Formats: sequence, C-alpha cells, structure tokens
Amino acid sequence: MLGESNNVLKRKKFDIIGNRFVFLIPSFIFFTVFAFIPLIVVVVISFFSWNLLGPMKFVGIENFIDMFTDANFWGTLMVTLKFEAMVVPITFVLSLVLALLLYKEGKFSSVFRAFFYWPYMAPAVVSGTIWAWLFSTNTGLINSILMKLGLSPISWLQGGLTALLVISLTQVWGMAGFMMMIFITGLEQIPMEFEEAASIDGANKLQIFRHITWPLLKGTSIIVLILSIAYSWNNFTLMYVMTTGGPGYETTITSLYIYQLAFTQFRIGYAAAVSVITILISIGIAMVAMKTGRWEV
Amino acid sequence: MLYKRRFQSVLFKVIIILLAVIFMIPIFYAMSSSFKTNAEIYSYPPTFLPKVFSVEGYQYIFQSLNFLRVLYNTLFVSIIATVITVTISIMAGYAIAKGNFKGKKMISNLMIMMVFVSIGVTLVPVFIIIKEMNLLNNLWGIILPAAFTPTGTFISIQYMKGISDEFIESAKIDGATEWQIFSRIIFPLSYPLAAVLTIFSFTWRWGDFILPLIVINSSNLYTMQLGLATTQGQYLISWNAIMAYSVLSIAPPLILFLIFQKLFMRGITAGGLKF
Repeated sequence: MLGESNNVLKRKKFDIIGNRFVFLIPSFIFFTVFAFIPLIVVVVISFFSWNLLGPMKFVGIENFIDMFTDANFWGTLMVTLKFEAMVVPITFVLSLVLALLLYKEGKFSSVFRAFFYWPYMAPAVVSGTIWAWLFSTNTGLINSILMKLGLSPISWLQGGLTALLVISLTQVWGMAGFMMMIFITGLEQIPMEFEEAASIDGANKLQIFRHITWPLLKGTSIIVLILSIAYSWNNFTLMYVMTTGGPGYETTITSLYIYQLAFTQFRIGYAAAVSVITILISIGIAMVAMKTGRWEV
Repeated sequence: MLYKRRFQSVLFKVIIILLAVIFMIPIFYAMSSSFKTNAEIYSYPPTFLPKVFSVEGYQYIFQSLNFLRVLYNTLFVSIIATVITVTISIMAGYAIAKGNFKGKKMISNLMIMMVFVSIGVTLVPVFIIIKEMNLLNNLWGIILPAAFTPTGTFISIQYMKGISDEFIESAKIDGATEWQIFSRIIFPLSYPLAAVLTIFSFTWRWGDFILPLIVINSSNLYTMQLGLATTQGQYLISWNAIMAYSVLSIAPPLILFLIFQKLFMRGITAGGLKF
C-alpha cells in the first residue's frame, strides 16, 4: 500500500520535474565538439612528433621527457605563478573595498558602479595597447610624470619584473569592476538587520565588518578568488600585445609558450604535451575550487 | 556622533571619486589622444586635452586599414555568436536546473570546469578540429568554437534555480506541453537573464583575440582585435591612429551596456552573479 502511493508520488514528481534533457542538447553538442573532444585529441597528439604539414611520427613519451629538462617550460610555469600572485590579491582587496563603498543603493553608487565596471568591457587587446603606451619608455604618460617630478624615466616594459607588474595592473584594472559586482551581489544577500542590531549595540564599522560581514561573505570571497585565478590563468592576450612575452621569456606565461611552440616553431606534438600538463594542473585547480566553493550544481 | 557619520560618508565619497578618476584615466587619455595631431602626441610634456582638435588618426584608420570591412566582420561574429550563446545557455540552464536525467550532475560539473580550461591551453587541439571541419580562415571558425561558455551556462543555471517550480507545476496541470512551458513561461521570465548573457557574451566575443589569431589568416577577415594587434607591429602607424582604433574598439560594447544598463544591473542582482 505504502509502496504504491510512494510510486504514484514519485511518478507525479517526475511528471512535474520532467526529463528535459532535450533542452541541453544544443549546448551539449557545442561543448562536446569544441571543449571535450579537444581534451582527448590533445592527449593523442602529445605522443607524436608533428610539424603540422608532414606526417605524424609516434614518439611515445619522448615529448614529456623533453619537457622535464626544458628550462623554458619550468620558467613559464614560474612566470604564470608570479603573475597570479600579483593579480589575485590586488584584485581581491580592491574589488572588496569598492563593493563595500558602493553596495548601498543610491544614485551616487549606481553611477560609480558603472564607472568601475567599464574597464571590464574593454577588450584585452585594447587595454594592453593603452597601458603599454601609458608605460612606454619615451612617449609614455607615466614617465613624463616621473620626469616632471625630477625622477629618471623607467624602462617599464623592458625589465622582467616591472613588465610583469605593469601587465598585472592592466589585468587588475580590467577585472576589478566585474569582481566588485560579484561582491555587491553577495553583500546584498546579507540581511540588513544584522548590521543594524550590531550598530545599536555600539559596534563600529570595522567591528561590524570583522564580525558580521566578513564571515557571511566567505562563499562570495571564494568565488571571487576562483574566478580571478581562472580568468588570468590561461589568457595570454595582454602579454602578446604588451611585451610579446619578453624580455626573453620573463613575461611568457605557459599558454603563450604553448602558442609559440605550436604556431611559430611548429612543434605541434611538443606543444600538445605542454598543453596536457597545463590542462591537468588547471583541472586540479578546478576540482579544488569546485569543492571549496560548493560549485556543484 | 552625527557629525562623525557625515564626515565618514563624505570621506568615502572622496575615496570613491579618487579611485574612479584613476580608473578612468586610461580610457580618457586614450580618447583625448585619439583627437590629437601626430606632432602633439610626440611633444613633451604631454597634454591632457588636445590643443588642436584633429581627426587625423580616425582618417588614417578609415582610409588605410580596410576598417569598415573589419568592423563588419567583428559585428557579424559577435552578434551571431551572442545569439547562439544566449539561446543555448538559457536552454541548458533550464534543462539542468529543472530537469531530471541521468548524468546531469556529471555533465554540468564538466561544463563548469571548463572555466579553467580555456582556449589558451586547448588552442592546439581546437585548431586541429577547426581545420578538420574546413573552417580555417573562415568567420564561422571563430563563431562556433566560442558559442559554448562555461560562465554563461553557470549564470543561467543559477538564475533558473530561482524560478519557482509552481509556475511549471500549474502549467503542467493545465496540460501545457514541455515546449509550451519553456517558450510561454520560462522564456518570458528570463529577460533579465537574457540581458546579462547578451552583454557578457557580446563583450567576450567582441574582445576575443586568441581564437581569431590562430584561425584567421587573410586581412579582409580580420576582427578589430586582430587588426589592432597586428597593425601595431606591421605598419609605421602613429599613436593617434592606434588610440583612435582603440576607442572605436571599446565603443560598441560600451554603447550596448549603456542601453541595457538598468536591465543588466537588475539581472545581475536577481541571481545573474549570485553564486
């Protein structure tokens, strides 16, 4: 008896929820062809030596062995880490501060939110071009200001560390407004009563932030961290435009190295092997991120 | 107490305005420089506003760089890709949030994981697939691979979760078919989501660089970003022309944003970016 009614209930529930896989099909096709199959293809190619035009030659794990002794590969991995280490903390603090200053509804905050959001809409090529010009040695605005102040001009984009710093600032500039919007959405989910109650009890702004806002904002913070890492991990557009990876390999992140290997040196198999390792690292980060951020849907 | 509060709020406003000025300097300086003469651009000290208003840079772009063709290519790619992305993301979000099929969790997790595995690291296999599909040096070769976006899918799922099951339930009881439920109930409820996805997708596709870089060869199929990046290296082009190019390159997504700003901001807070 009980089982029967349970079944009826289940069937009714199923009717309402429905299968609906059919609505996923278009997206699933694009995902499979251009995102999933490439992951298989890249593994296969990584076992071959190939220059794109000639025949493919099976070389086993030779590409991977080469990679472990390739100082440039390890160098680019370090550059990627340094870039992340500069971009992620600055973006996090800046976007959090902006969100805290602008999350209360009002004419003033809605106008200024838009101002900070604008740079996110600038294509990376454009922001790279403009910032490279601002920091260019001879005609740049920044060096002109330094000279006005009686300081000597700096060859920003010709030095490894300064170049990476300028690229990082450009990345932060483009991303902070977007992350600010995520923080604002998170802040709006915190009930006003909490703050008001604490305020009546005599807590100051800093105490309210430390003991109420910050703990409740933990989930949002994790998302901002994950997205900041993801958005700067694999995109070499800024480096390509601002320094072409130079001087030497000092601003070449791994994805730019992959591009150079494949499309200027035509070492497709080796480029694929480097991709495989980079993708494995990316998936590792993604798994950790999705676990901590409770991103499963 | 009141005095202190007022002081604090004024202080915050001053901080915001200062930060906003710093944020706006690059765009403002690029805009102002695009209207300077070549001589003024190379003069020291640099001027903040053009002394002589000139459209020299814009003239150069329109006359020497096949600009209208490039603009057409970019609009074509961005608009078509956006239409596809918005359509498939809304459908996918609905399927995952309100559907019940085998492997749902695994498929959706794999899709979202792709936010970390972007074109920057899969460019070799994606290039080979595009080549096998005979889409190299073809605008469709930069439209189709970019149509599925993990962030767009995720935003859509989150938004759809916020739509109450009761709407679907009562339509079901009234005898509506699956397609009717989607097109007459779910879709009209998704306008803010559609606005968010449209603006994001258009901005992303408009700014795409890596995919066009590996797919497009001939200069009459260039997109704006590819054009801007390669002209800097190839020609003896002056900075006012480059800045004019940059300004024209920011304008379309910015205009789109200004038109849909209200709906966009509403969509974002209604769950678009609620993670």
